[in-house]
Amino acid sequence: MTGLGAELLASGRGFVQNVGATTRFLLHLVALTPAGLLRFRLIVEQIYNAGALSLVIIMTSGLFVGMVLGLQGYDLLQRFGSEDSLGTGAALALLKELGPVVTALLFAGRAGTSLASEIGLMRATDQLSAMEIMAVDPMRRVVLPRFLGGAISVPLLTAVFIAVGLFGVQLVGVQFLGVDQGSFWSQMRGAIELGDVTEGLIKGVVFGVACSLIAVYEGYNAQPTAEGVGRATTRTVVISAVLTLILDYILTAIML
Amino acid sequence: MVSTAHSAPAEPSVAGDDSVACLTGIHYGVDGKQIFRGLDIAIRRGQVTAIMGPSGTGKTTLLRLVTGQVFADAGKVIVDGRDVASLDRGALYALRRRMGMLFQNGALLTDLDVFENVAFPLREHTRLPERLIRNVVLMKLHAVGLRGAAELYPQQLSGGMGRRVALARAIAMDPDILIYDEPFAGLDPISLGVVLRLIRQLNDALGISSIVVTHDVHEISQIADMSYILSDGKVVASGRPKELEASSSGIVRQFIGGHADGPVPFHYPAPAYYEQLLGGATR
Repeated sequence: MTGLGAELLASGRGFVQNVGATTRFLLHLVALTPAGLLRFRLIVEQIYNAGALSLVIIMTSGLFVGMVLGLQGYDLLQRFGSEDSLGTGAALALLKELGPVVTALLFAGRAGTSLASEIGLMRATDQLSAMEIMAVDPMRRVVLPRFLGGAISVPLLTAVFIAVGLFGVQLVGVQFLGVDQGSFWSQMRGAIELGDVTEGLIKGVVFGVACSLIAVYEGYNAQPTAEGVGRATTRTVVISAVLTLILDYILTAIML
Repeated sequence: MVSTAHSAPAEPSVAGDDSVACLTGIHYGVDGKQIFRGLDIAIRRGQVTAIMGPSGTGKTTLLRLVTGQVFADAGKVIVDGRDVASLDRGALYALRRRMGMLFQNGALLTDLDVFENVAFPLREHTRLPERLIRNVVLMKLHAVGLRGAAELYPQQLSGGMGRRVALARAIAMDPDILIYDEPFAGLDPISLGVVLRLIRQLNDALGISSIVVTHDVHEISQIADMSYILSDGKVVASGRPKELEASSSGIVRQFIGGHADGPVPFHYPAPAYYEQLLGGATR
């Protein structure tokens, strides 16, 4: 029992230390951001790597999530004779929850792992040390552009996911199942408010910052071994996914 | 004249005016293991200085102390007249701009081609026009014989070529001090000869000071002006290569001759062989 207590205490202390270290890392990045923004070309490269190269997986997933939403939504609404509300329900679900959350999860799996392993391998192969010796700060040159590129990409990818998702809902609901096209779009336009869009946007930004931060932090602090880089990559996916869901609850509770 | 740990080193002086780097009374430990116990080394300006010693004696750590990547627990590291431990980040980076370092594995940036790797420090630290950067990079690559490989990526290079590109990058900013960490490891005889000559030629042509950490006693003896042999956390012998070769010191004889038996044990500390083999433990 004493052993279990000591283990719990040690893991609790480790958790607090990790949270503290990650927060310090974030504050360091925030402090570097004004100067980092001046080298916009580096950030654009990372938006391409993290964002543009994720477009296929985001669009494919968005389409099928939308199509499933169309089927399930139609089945549910049909029971109450209100299948014309399919567009409104699907749009709210995509804007407020599915869009930001699924995009963040996909980003963590595709781009987050790529960022963590890339930075981890740079550490393992002395590339970061070489920069230090060349008097180039790796936080400024390597970590910051990747962090900002990821943080900017997620809200943009979220918007793409939602747009393609709505197309999927429309494809199934209107084209396949016969929901009236006019009702589908007009009810959606009437019911969706700016606040709903803002909620999705805020979530996208917060999830983007969180997932990018976890990826660059884990990569930068990876043990410089093959196992260490692998562990950092796994931790990136797991922590990003859990953190996204926790943050989603907190943000939803605040914004409702 | 060879200095050994048994006779206090009169040559070289640790506090000479011609020292570009000077480590005095260095004590350094990590993870409970003491690596240096009162290390004294002086790197003379304009010379090629070899740092040698058995594996695990802290040769690479010494380079990390000189470049300010780690700091000594006690003692002073003076580089170009400045105490490295007392420098703030800006001053340390300013000092590092005057150093070049060749890593054991080259440490080339894998997402950049050879040209961009050599141009990297120039782009980061200068606002030179693109045409001038191009000319400087081509000159540096020409110096290491790889002007024709400018468009290759690091993964397309052999080990020796990668080392030479890293050398071109290390001299891109015309440093005052050039540091080599195991520059000959894993090289074929031709590449080794090329790198060996380059170290000497660059040192003399650019008027720089070179620190070479290596195991390759016979190769470095051809070009070094001064050699230090480290063991057990301190300098056990120092002198010119020819003097070291003629030394009667047991540790110097063992190291230069590559003997398993001698003052430096071949085996890492372990329980008695007989007891471990016949004991009940599984490992």
